[in-house]
Amino acid sequence: MPNVFAFVETRGGEIRKVGLEAVTAARMLADKLGGGEVHALLMGPSGVAAKAPQIGEHGADLVIVVENAGLANYNPEAATATAADRIKSGGYRAAVFSTTAQGRDLAPRVAARLGVALVTDVLSFDVDGDAIVVKHPMNIGKVIATIAINSQPAIIAMRPNVIAPAKNPKAGRVESAQPAADPAASRVKVVETRQGSGGKLDLAEAPVVVAGGRGLKAAENFKLVEDLAAAFGNAAVGATRAVTDDGWRPHSDQIGQTGRLVSPELYVAVGISGAVQHLAGMRTSRTIVAVNRDKDAPIFKVADYGIVGDVFEVIPALTEAVREAKKHH
Amino acid sequence: MKIAVCVKRVPDMDVRFRIAADNASVDEAGLKFDLNDFDAWGVEAALKLRDANAGSEVTVISLGPDVVQETIRKALSMGADKGIQLKADKVPFDGLAIAKALAEELKSGAYDLIFFGKMSPDSANGVVGQMVAELLGLACVSAISSLEIANGKGKAKRELEGAQEIVEFPLPAVLTVDEGLNQARLPSLKGIMAAKKKPLVVKAAQLPQSQLTVRKVELPPERQAGRIVGEGAAAVPELVKLLQTEAKVL
Amino acid sequence: MPRELKVLPSAHQAPLPLDKLILTEPPDAEAVPMDVLFVGGGPAGLAGAIALARLVKADNEAGGDLGDIQIGVLEKAGALGEHSLSGAVVNPIAIRALFPELKDGDFPFRAPVAGERVYFMTESRAIRMPTPPTMQNHGYYIGSICEIVRWLGEKAEGLGVNIFTGFPAASLLTEGQRVTGVRTTPSGLSRTGEQGSGYTPPTDITAQITVLAEGTRGTLSQAYMQWQKIASDNPQIFALGVKEVWETLKPLDAVVHTLGWPLPKDCFGGSFMYPLTRNLVALGLVVGLDYKRTTDDVHEMLQRMKLNPLFRDILESGEMVEWGAKTIPEGGYYALPKRRHGDGLMIVGDSAGFVEVASLKGIHYAMQSGMFAARAAFDALKRKDTSAATLREYDTMVDGSFIVEDLRRRRNMRLAFQKSGFYTAGLKAGIMTVTGGALFGGKIESHQDADVAREVKPPTPFTPDGKLTFSKLDAVFKSGNATRDDIPSHLLVGPDITADVAELYTHMCPAGVYERDGERLVVSPANCVDCKATDVIGPRWTPREGGSGPKYRQM
Repeated sequence: MPNVFAFVETRGGEIRKVGLEAVTAARMLADKLGGGEVHALLMGPSGVAAKAPQIGEHGADLVIVVENAGLANYNPEAATATAADRIKSGGYRAAVFSTTAQGRDLAPRVAARLGVALVTDVLSFDVDGDAIVVKHPMNIGKVIATIAINSQPAIIAMRPNVIAPAKNPKAGRVESAQPAADPAASRVKVVETRQGSGGKLDLAEAPVVVAGGRGLKAAENFKLVEDLAAAFGNAAVGATRAVTDDGWRPHSDQIGQTGRLVSPELYVAVGISGAVQHLAGMRTSRTIVAVNRDKDAPIFKVADYGIVGDVFEVIPALTEAVREAKKHH
Repeated sequence: MKIAVCVKRVPDMDVRFRIAADNASVDEAGLKFDLNDFDAWGVEAALKLRDANAGSEVTVISLGPDVVQETIRKALSMGADKGIQLKADKVPFDGLAIAKALAEELKSGAYDLIFFGKMSPDSANGVVGQMVAELLGLACVSAISSLEIANGKGKAKRELEGAQEIVEFPLPAVLTVDEGLNQARLPSLKGIMAAKKKPLVVKAAQLPQSQLTVRKVELPPERQAGRIVGEGAAAVPELVKLLQTEAKVL
Repeated sequence: MPRELKVLPSAHQAPLPLDKLILTEPPDAEAVPMDVLFVGGGPAGLAGAIALARLVKADNEAGGDLGDIQIGVLEKAGALGEHSLSGAVVNPIAIRALFPELKDGDFPFRAPVAGERVYFMTESRAIRMPTPPTMQNHGYYIGSICEIVRWLGEKAEGLGVNIFTGFPAASLLTEGQRVTGVRTTPSGLSRTGEQGSGYTPPTDITAQITVLAEGTRGTLSQAYMQWQKIASDNPQIFALGVKEVWETLKPLDAVVHTLGWPLPKDCFGGSFMYPLTRNLVALGLVVGLDYKRTTDDVHEMLQRMKLNPLFRDILESGEMVEWGAKTIPEGGYYALPKRRHGDGLMIVGDSAGFVEVASLKGIHYAMQSGMFAARAAFDALKRKDTSAATLREYDTMVDGSFIVEDLRRRRNMRLAFQKSGFYTAGLKAGIMTVTGGALFGGKIESHQDADVAREVKPPTPFTPDGKLTFSKLDAVFKSGNATRDDIPSHLLVGPDITADVAELYTHMCPAGVYERDGERLVVSPANCVDCKATDVIGPRWTPREGGSGPKYRQM
């Protein structure tokens, strides 16, 4: 029975939620392939081995732990060499990575080193005879492609949040190993990992946009929107034209007067009535959440989820809840 | 410095797409094409470095059929010095196949820096630059949002989820460029005229077999009607649960 | 007796900023030199460039001494066709003359006109009328002007014409009475006029001959004519056309024109609906800008019109894929400028008023006039004399051609409507046609649109349903307009803008640029789709950053 490899992403010695998603996905794929083993690679500084049990709990039969002081930050060359080596020697049918900034850097290098193809941002996977078939969004999500991977191992990088980490305890045997390349000899050195977004995320690129409108009543109340955006961690702050015209926010924050396309994964409209001016610019967001005290506000017609209520009560509560949820990322 | 920039011709994303009759590709009728924005930022970064380092040169390379010459010319209009078309009937979906063809061309170029865009919005894999670096055995930093080069070394910043990495690397290196690195200059009229006289060499692409097959391409399901989850702060836990389990954005 | 309030648009209009449009300083030392520059990449400019390139090529191949002639086409839109809008049913006479080696099947048309129907509409009905002779389109082709322009652009590039898209011409460069070239607009300025990080300064382009092919209500054309004091018998007058393209489930099998509702009886205009394919329909409403009430609103009239079963049946359960607007010069023969050339300059196409309103035709006149300008330019280059005396050849050719012949024959069609009520005028128009202009053919005096006073009337409330009818903002979104929101305003607002004037502007503009907010006027210049209605009766339109405005694809 074919085995599947999973790369478990960590940051600062902690396993990231996407890491557990990768293990869960590998488990699902192994089961579709006939019930073989899942072997997961965990790399990090000393002490990361203590996190190994979680990986077993999420379906790994074997956890390969590589601890090294030089792995306190992501080390592209050591990670590439180690992952590629293990995948090659292990004869895996497939290998699962995550489509994160790190995964986007690592998975292609590993694939190229192994001479095999890679599909990133995978939404779902299936087994069709000899082929592993995946779905992948193209053209900024306006089109979905179904792709057959004809090489072995089939390397995929999952989109975050499409596979929920699922507890499915397996043996979780731990094997300690050395990095296949000396982290200290890496040409590319990550000298620092800084928490918090230093630069402002651009509205057009941010995966999450939190926008505020007239319902916030005064410029200083925009702090509610900023706090919520900060809780998401990868969110940009936007505003309606009414608010930027009144000078509460700079014009660069303004969303959609004349069709400027903002298309994040998640759009949260705070105190925005949803006059057409605004809707034209954010309508193609994948998920829209609206909070407004007026149940008849037009925004609720385009929102996927709405809360009718006082933004001054709802938004702080939502901010707290998002912070909690993000703690496990 | 010898600098190369790999560029791709991509369709304008601001349209509604149609599926072609074969159900395995997007209908190109009526689509407008242009230089990939991410690649334009790569060209801009290369031009800035060339202008700061006397005697430097920027070469732009693109794989594909003859129409990609328009895209190379656009980069030449921005100020690049020469262009190379690696001629192929179609640009494959498989990034490794593209990377191998590009690496074959780049390996003899003795480039100090090779720029790629982080990704192209059509195939949306974002893999080619990193793969080329691996094939050429070069240092690579992907998705950079700031860059400094001095004395044969470089320093760049990468955006992570809720964090940033500061990375140091030696030259020669492959860099893939993210939004925020710079703003691409618009071709000036003079630049457009000058581009017509710059060399654009056409070579056959050494494209290997693809290992990925696009079996089908379809439009995503229609948006469902939304719903009011509840009233006031009490509705927050339900909303968060839905965002996690149903919408899968949290 | 209640006093009737009126608004006179001309009392609130800013004058044309001649000092900015006509420059006397010498060109910049870094000016890009061209031999012949066409300002505007529409059918007139491109046909002219193609014709000239062919003439030069043939001459060089025959051993002539012209050598390398640089022909340039400047287009303000980011890509060819993006600012082009028309019905359109095209008379192929000019394109056949430009490409004698091609067959009709090679041209970028959609389909020959198969059937035609004309209706008189009321709010709930459409009554079939016999097709008046002015509206007979047998032998013509339905097409999208965007597609025609893109096709012409490819032909032009293939002939070595330099096409510069995203470069609006902001001013004419002059020396004495001669036009020596143009200066383009800068780009990257903020709303307050500061240079942003993407700032690009204006570029000067010098040319032996500049051909103004700016389309309807061309700014530099107006400036040139004012500067040179070029008159016409009547002032030019305009209609505003608002157009939509729909994907439909029900097929349309004929070219349709309508008169009557929803136009008020004292408004000149009518609608069109053409099948681009069986399931892709172009429709629009054309209304004279001399309408009589401040709150007459062409976009809203079009929306209401779609509720009539004639349109509703075709459009229902379909989808609007594009929306746009553009003015049409309607003054015809008597509004033609007396002189359309000067030292180093010619004016072609809509900018010169070559549009025949009764048949809604202008594309073939535009192309033909461009081709005449090319001939005159070629002769001038050969003789090494680009003065007005030599370029007069252009006017001579136009005056002796079907362009002026057609306009002369229909010279009072439109003006009759300005003077008489709709039905009287319709009768007169019919008689004019039948008698070839012999009866009712004396020149009718006309006035500028801006000099027509409008009654202040409350607006008719209009609530779009978002499926068949749309608000202006939804509509602008469908024009592909993605102009950056912090662009400086290109619109010159005149004096004394009262609430009623603001109301007039709100309804005049199809793109929602103007909004009346209580007593004041709010301007959103980024919405502008360059239709030029504002230049005719509202704030003056001036050239702005390249690539701004709509991105029409199949209009």
